Amino acid sequence: MNGYAAWAHPQLAAQVLRPRRDGCSEIALRVESLNDARQVLWLEQRIRALAGVRRVAIDRPAQRVRVVWDAQRTTLPALLESFAAACCPAQPLQRDSIDDARAQEQHQALKHLLVAGMCSMQVMTYAFVIYVGVVDFVDFSTRSLFRWLGLLTTLPVVFYSAQPFFAGTVRELRERRLGINLPVALAVLLVFLASMFNTLRGSGEIYFDSVTMFVFLLLGGRYVELRSRHRSGALGDAAIDAAPLLAQRRRADGELETVPAIALLPGDRVHIAEGSAVPADGVLESAGVQVDEALLSGESRPVRRARGERLVAGSVLLSGPAELRVEHSGASTTAARLDALATRARRARSLIAPSDREIGRFVARVLVLTVLTALGWLLVDPSRAFEAAVAVLVVACPCSFALARPAALTRALGVLAARGVLVTSGKALYALARVDYALFDKTGTLGVPQLDRRGVEPLRGDTPEQVLQLAAALAHESSHPLARALADAARQQALPRQAQSVRVSAGGGICGEVDGRALRLGRADFALAPSGRAVSVGIADALVLADADGAIAAFRLAEQPRVEARRLLDALRADGVAVAIASGDHANRVDALADRLDVADRYARQSPDDKLARLQASHAEGRVTLAVGDGSNDAPVLAGADVSAALASGTELAQSHADLLLLDGHLGSLADARAIARQLQQVTRRGRRWSLWYNLAAVPFAALGLVTPWLAAIGMSLSSLLVVLYALRVGSTEPAAPADVSGPPLRPRELHA
Amino acid sequence: MNILLVLIPVTSLIVGVGVWLFFWAVNHQQFDDLDSPASVPLLDDQPEPAPLTEPPKHNPTDPS
Repeated sequence: MNGYAAWAHPQLAAQVLRPRRDGCSEIALRVESLNDARQVLWLEQRIRALAGVRRVAIDRPAQRVRVVWDAQRTTLPALLESFAAACCPAQPLQRDSIDDARAQEQHQALKHLLVAGMCSMQVMTYAFVIYVGVVDFVDFSTRSLFRWLGLLTTLPVVFYSAQPFFAGTVRELRERRLGINLPVALAVLLVFLASMFNTLRGSGEIYFDSVTMFVFLLLGGRYVELRSRHRSGALGDAAIDAAPLLAQRRRADGELETVPAIALLPGDRVHIAEGSAVPADGVLESAGVQVDEALLSGESRPVRRARGERLVAGSVLLSGPAELRVEHSGASTTAARLDALATRARRARSLIAPSDREIGRFVARVLVLTVLTALGWLLVDPSRAFEAAVAVLVVACPCSFALARPAALTRALGVLAARGVLVTSGKALYALARVDYALFDKTGTLGVPQLDRRGVEPLRGDTPEQVLQLAAALAHESSHPLARALADAARQQALPRQAQSVRVSAGGGICGEVDGRALRLGRADFALAPSGRAVSVGIADALVLADADGAIAAFRLAEQPRVEARRLLDALRADGVAVAIASGDHANRVDALADRLDVADRYARQSPDDKLARLQASHAEGRVTLAVGDGSNDAPVLAGADVSAALASGTELAQSHADLLLLDGHLGSLADARAIARQLQQVTRRGRRWSLWYNLAAVPFAALGLVTPWLAAIGMSLSSLLVVLYALRVGSTEPAAPADVSGPPLRPRELHA
Repeated sequence: MNILLVLIPVTSLIVGVGVWLFFWAVNHQQFDDLDSPASVPLLDDQPEPAPLTEPPKHNPTDPS
């Protein structure tokens, strides 16, 4: 079990370890089996007991463990082995994943909140004395003393706790937009300055209690929102970590082994199949290929790379397999580029930041209203102008309005990540809720192709094993689901041979040379093209292996619908979505699967262009379209739909340009995603409507001077808190799908037994 | 009313100590994990180097 010894290599270690100033090292690990709290504690105690370990921090939602320890006393492989011995195997994550921002943000927010809470309670007692004193026994000088005490105790609230609001205002103004921080900061500052002025003067009203309470309640609401945002972020991280970029490394004996891309060393030889991502920077050692570097340079046209040229990590191989010699893998710039998927998913999360124009307009109106109120009262009764204007400013502040959308959206992203759906574009969820036409790919999406022995039909007297071995040599080089099913079937029987000068033509098949013999594998018309023979009826719907003389064998792959396909289609149809299947496959096979799934709208022998045209036609009819595919093979189709979902696992994740990624073949999660998207839309709309009604109802009272500033502060903070709490409803009413499929948790007691 | 001159500094001191304690706790990660410690009392047997007979679960991304 010495699989961890490789991590002793300094270059590998450098990729995952972060040196600290005190000589210790820090590492972030992904640990999957953290199912219950007791196991977490148990693991923590065991790791902490190791020599030289300073700190262990376990983040359960993110499935990450961070360890700070002295690498001189316990080596990295020894540490990893301790995790494995505790039945919690750990996978080192890239150094960049060590991220303190989230914890720091939370610590700051907690401190701001607590200082505001403590001080507001103090100020409240002082204010109470003053209120009582006006009526009764506290004499004038004591009253003045309490006003000064109030002022002193408010100082930390305004200058420490309210910092986020001031910083936010400065940021918003610098970006030349009106945001929700401006009215808050303005209200806090105005009320505080007026109260301070009155304290110095020794007469007039003071509102220190209102200011502190306002800040405290608002921070409370923001803290709840922050916690939920962090939780969603952690769940998203866990989903991303679960799909590391893998590489096929060629061992010294020529066999291929699968390793994480970050474990590659310079000089390693890597095999890259058609359609997968380049795992590290390196030199191309096989014939020229076409690569898509869109993720890196934004250049969407394929680029040709000849033998001896450099391939850049993160680009996608479009044609033919390639052999790569890794040049450098340790550079953190490369490592950062590799995780294009992670970056995209995180970007979707950061897009949530409320930069709505609507909010800007709202704030502008609030400011105008405040000024109008002040002017109005100055004409009628100047002594009440300030109070009324502040009340309007606070009551009408669109905090809850602005929070409704991001709070619900972050929650939705978190819930979906926990169910195996990764959202790479925030807008996709809103479009998904409106979808009324869904186009499904067949092979690999709705159905899983399988090849058993009866399906192999040699046409020229070879044994089934022989033809399977030949076909598998070609199939091995493609990532198409049919090819993969064939390669899987062959792997159980014999090792596939090596194929040379392989070419893959999309929608047709694969051609290449095996043992010097030119072979073609694919649709019957593609495979028989060079021999010039007509396609006989018997093999028209099969996968055909042929050489220059004609067909060698036919493979009939049985196709089973995916377990969750039926549930998904039923859910969509019940929801009023028109469902269609479009496949490049033969009509017989499309009919067979479509009949089992009761889909009437079916199209066979579709090229990617046909599928795209079909989508565009639906779109022109005013429908909102959803395309579901397996990611790598129908990228243009996916790109052409309003929303796209791809079933992906492992390496393909990085290159699928879909809006929604269904991890590990969780097709049924798409139904959940649709339900959650609808719920999200509803919650957002309702939250916004509530806060709008609340504002409309409260503003007239405030403008008429009937609402005191403290009442306004309570009302506005409560409304924000309500909207945030309401947003937590997203995804909570669903029947809880099993979030993890990793099996029952191991309990310490069972380990001893 | 002279008692106020004693009580007000005392309350301020208490608030100050409270804030200081809380800051210490936040800075020492006491608020990072609020779920697991709840089950400490249920952890009945003291963990010790467990006699592991079963191999660790297979990890497909294992660099082996």
